[in-house]
Amino acid sequence: MAIIDFKFALEQVPEVLKGVPWTLTIAIVAMIFGVLFGLLIALCRIYKIPVLNQLSILYISFIRGTPLIVQLYVFFYGVPVLLGYLNPRLGLSIEADNISPLIYALVAYTINTAAYQAEIFRSSINATSAGQMEAAYSVGMTTAQGLYRIILPQAIVIALPNLGNLFINLIKATSLAFAVKVVEILAISKIIANDGYRFLEMYLVASIIYWVICLVCEIIFSKLEKKMGRFEARMDLKAPA
Amino acid sequence: MLISDYIIRVDREGDRLIELKNIKKSFKKNPVLKGVDLKVNKGEVLVIVGPSGSGKTTLLRCVNYLERPDEGTISVDGFSVEGKNASKKDILNLRRKTAMVFQHYNLFKNKTVLENVMEGLLVAKKMKAPEARNISMDLLQKVGLGEKINDYPTQLSGGQQQRVGIARALALNPSAILFDEPTSALDPEMVGEVLSIMKKIAGEGMTMVIVTHEIDFARDAADHVVFMADGVIVEQGPPKDVLSHPKHERTKQFLKRLVREPEYEI
Repeated sequence: MAIIDFKFALEQVPEVLKGVPWTLTIAIVAMIFGVLFGLLIALCRIYKIPVLNQLSILYISFIRGTPLIVQLYVFFYGVPVLLGYLNPRLGLSIEADNISPLIYALVAYTINTAAYQAEIFRSSINATSAGQMEAAYSVGMTTAQGLYRIILPQAIVIALPNLGNLFINLIKATSLAFAVKVVEILAISKIIANDGYRFLEMYLVASIIYWVICLVCEIIFSKLEKKMGRFEARMDLKAPA
Repeated sequence: MLISDYIIRVDREGDRLIELKNIKKSFKKNPVLKGVDLKVNKGEVLVIVGPSGSGKTTLLRCVNYLERPDEGTISVDGFSVEGKNASKKDILNLRRKTAMVFQHYNLFKNKTVLENVMEGLLVAKKMKAPEARNISMDLLQKVGLGEKINDYPTQLSGGQQQRVGIARALALNPSAILFDEPTSALDPEMVGEVLSIMKKIAGEGMTMVIVTHEIDFARDAADHVVFMADGVIVEQGPPKDVLSHPKHERTKQFLKRLVREPEYEI
């Protein structure tokens, strides 16, 4: 038997690829809801909305200050307890066992990523110059119109590199979703490896699949950056060829 | 004061467009405006001059409520707002009476030149796009930027950006335009192009309130000059009085410093 059995590894690739949709679903759904909640939280913080601002600070601090895997465990074991408490009081009958692992993962990853996105949006909105909003006011816009038409389009361009980074981290973080029983790329690899004691092979297969996914994401985000930032003066565009 | 001046004043009483009463404003504990009254008549070009930190920019920004006064009343074109307790709706209505040209242009960075001028028409005036486009194109031609309509602000020189800023203000057809040091951030060779457009607009009867350090422009284009120092209006009147024959010691000092050669050596 060879030290590394490449043939075995190659044969298992199609099986491991079955985990990719799970990984992508968790990452993409969490990212989209994260943008939504992150933006709202960022605005609560920027406009210092009473109560919501303080709650946001607490929430962001807790999420950023605890490991994702611990959050997943707390969520996974906490929800049944919470349901057991709420069901009789609200007259509901939601069985924790009937909730699919994917739902657990989607909610937990959204909660996690929204905290990071809130900080990204807060800093990028603050990085747009104050004069932009003043100009919006001076032509008769409301705060909401100024935010939507002027500030956010600029803030998103500033946020994009960080959002891309976050998304790549999120993809890698989905490898922890096994903690809530989602069978994604790494989980499948582990299961196969356990059967034949081929751990190195399977981890190599997993790592290459993650790498390829992240590579594609990097390319997509760099294209997005170029497209959305067309109004920015860029050094590499101005320099002589 | 000459009797003829007095008669003109009385005649203009009915044409009052902007009136600020007893405006007070502090930043932290530092009082910047100490109870300022200001009146601007319809069609008048009013220039505010004064040393840095005198409160002239803050006063101008109170007119469209970019600064919230601690006390006082703001009236623009028959619409009055109590300084401290203005509602969001009041503020919006007040702002829609005027337009502003900024020291650092503040063009919308994510919009082209044409979109910058159209933006207020589309959003605040709810105008249809073709109509807004026609108005904006005309105004951009007027300020000499008909060729640049599809450029983004970062592709323009400072003088060009400020001319777009003026076109953006004009497009709103405001009852008055507020200029906040419109040439202070410009290279010397670009100051002229902006000032000449401002003079052109003044000639067309637009009401203008201008904060500036360009004393020659004030002498030349202003109907009324206000000299501010330390949060109060020290002296005001026609430019030939305030700028050529100032009565107050503070005004004399300020003007002397402007003409005197710099004291430092390079």
